[in-house]
Amino acid sequence: MSVFWTLQALNALQYAALLFLISAGLSVSFGLMGFVNLAHGALYMLGAYIGVSIAGGVGFWTALIVAPLAIGAIGAALHQGLLRRIAGAGPMPQVLVSFGLVFLAVEAVRIIWGDVPLTLDVPKALSGTRIILDTAYPSYRLFVILLGGAVALSLWAGMTRSHLGAAIRAAVENRDMARAIGIRTERLFLAVFTLGASLAGLGGVIAAPILSVSPSMAVTALIPALIVTVIGGLGSIPGAMLGAVIVAAIEVFGAALWPDASAVLIYAALAAALIWRPEGLLSAGRAR
Amino acid sequence: MFRLSAMRAGAFAATVTGLAIWSLAGGFFAREIVAEIAVLAILVIALDLAAGFGGMVSLAHGAIMGVGAYGYALAAQAGLPVWNASACGIAVAALFGGAMGAICMRTRGIFFIMATLAFGQMAWSFVFRSDALGGDNGLGGVPRPAVPGLETDAPLGFAIYALALLVLVFALTAAFLRSRAGRMLEALRDNPDRAAALGISASRYRIGAFALSSALAGVAGVLAAQHIQFVSPELLVWTASGEALVVLILGGIGTLTGPVIGAACFVLLKHWAAGWTDHWHLVIGALLILVVLAGGRGIYGEFEARRHA
Repeated sequence: MSVFWTLQALNALQYAALLFLISAGLSVSFGLMGFVNLAHGALYMLGAYIGVSIAGGVGFWTALIVAPLAIGAIGAALHQGLLRRIAGAGPMPQVLVSFGLVFLAVEAVRIIWGDVPLTLDVPKALSGTRIILDTAYPSYRLFVILLGGAVALSLWAGMTRSHLGAAIRAAVENRDMARAIGIRTERLFLAVFTLGASLAGLGGVIAAPILSVSPSMAVTALIPALIVTVIGGLGSIPGAMLGAVIVAAIEVFGAALWPDASAVLIYAALAAALIWRPEGLLSAGRAR
Repeated sequence: MFRLSAMRAGAFAATVTGLAIWSLAGGFFAREIVAEIAVLAILVIALDLAAGFGGMVSLAHGAIMGVGAYGYALAAQAGLPVWNASACGIAVAALFGGAMGAICMRTRGIFFIMATLAFGQMAWSFVFRSDALGGDNGLGGVPRPAVPGLETDAPLGFAIYALALLVLVFALTAAFLRSRAGRMLEALRDNPDRAAALGISASRYRIGAFALSSALAGVAGVLAAQHIQFVSPELLVWTASGEALVVLILGGIGTLTGPVIGAACFVLLKHWAAGWTDHWHLVIGALLILVVLAGGRGIYGEFEARRHA
């Protein structure tokens, strides 16, 4: 394999890892509660901003732990205070309320951090490059790939091997039956929503050294994450993984091989997926 | 079933008359705001047709409007007379929206919303990166139409022309909703199974209504392009679609009059909030959440519900 192909493949994997972190929470809370959280991208954006602030004070590694916890807490508070009330109210109120939250989050970020995009330096330990198949690749991006892979593996193991995972799968499959056999679905929803928010926050922190941190992240991350969810299928961790790899591969290779069409390739893929399998490739449970 | 009740027609007429008087009596600023309200109201009427009466909540109407605006600007640049160029803009918007609707129609509920959002973003990123469309610089020099008896190059003439278009769009939409196809659309929204049992092809009516709604959004786009005499990718960005949905909810979904009242309130609120804070989106976001939590009927919907109670 030539250097070009190795480089593009690694870039695609790195982007897929990031997309997966954002999409996993979106997909599962979506499949579980039927709740579309357009504010998920805003949580990712807040994760990046909070991450940059913490990293500036006490270093990147602390930020990597603390920022996702903070975003998880914000997510839990939002769920308990607001989103829980409208989870059963149909798609329209959900879209509107989460849309309102995007407005609020973006303006809050502009007030607190200003309009100028922020940057975060790569931590010292990961500042060099590594040789992979004769190709020099930044260590930090390799770290992102490994972290994404590790999170994907542990989520997949958690979903298939643990009691909590079994409860989640049961609730996605049939919420009423899950309740009837004694699964406390309300607590489950809160736990999954919090976890999903933390993952979005984690995505924000690890994206900060790669992208510039700006309020537009709330939307630029949301659209591909929604496409990943539609292509991969609802409520399924393998679906989110597969969808993230497909979307990342199309975006990265499309930009390298056919730059003129790259802006719309991903949407063509979405159209194809909707026509071929409207329920997604690896959907868990019924489509709502 | 849709009825153009006396209350709906009256509230619409009162609002439009109020706006007309304001543009006659007010200065430059009032006239510009009235034109802005008319553009938004037409877009939101289009969205009400799809979302309120058809049950197809679209997050792409801003993009469809933008497609109409670009279609008009390009056709006018190519040398077409203004009215033919307007027809081009509307047709392009109807085609784009109709094709998108046909694909998204394979999905339901929230998936429909997400799919429309994605296709709207597609149109935005295509326009944003396309050199032929001016990229992120947009296209300037967009002409205004010549209307007999109206000086459309002056703010007052244009405001009156925009209000006249708004009345036309309102009347057309009301006529469609009272037609057989319009009643069918509402029957499909209320009970798809019953409609299917009667042998009605649901997707045919839905796609047709979505295309019609897109054509109306195209009217809003052409009018917006004529108003600011400039088109840019800003027109297509997803927040424009979201704002249209906000206005629809604020005014009252499924009432046809609500969009006009919502548009007037929204634009006035926006200018008022922008007067004392850069962060007027905070006001809009909070308002949106409050309207939904208050029951989601909106200003006009709430008024109507109380009068009938």
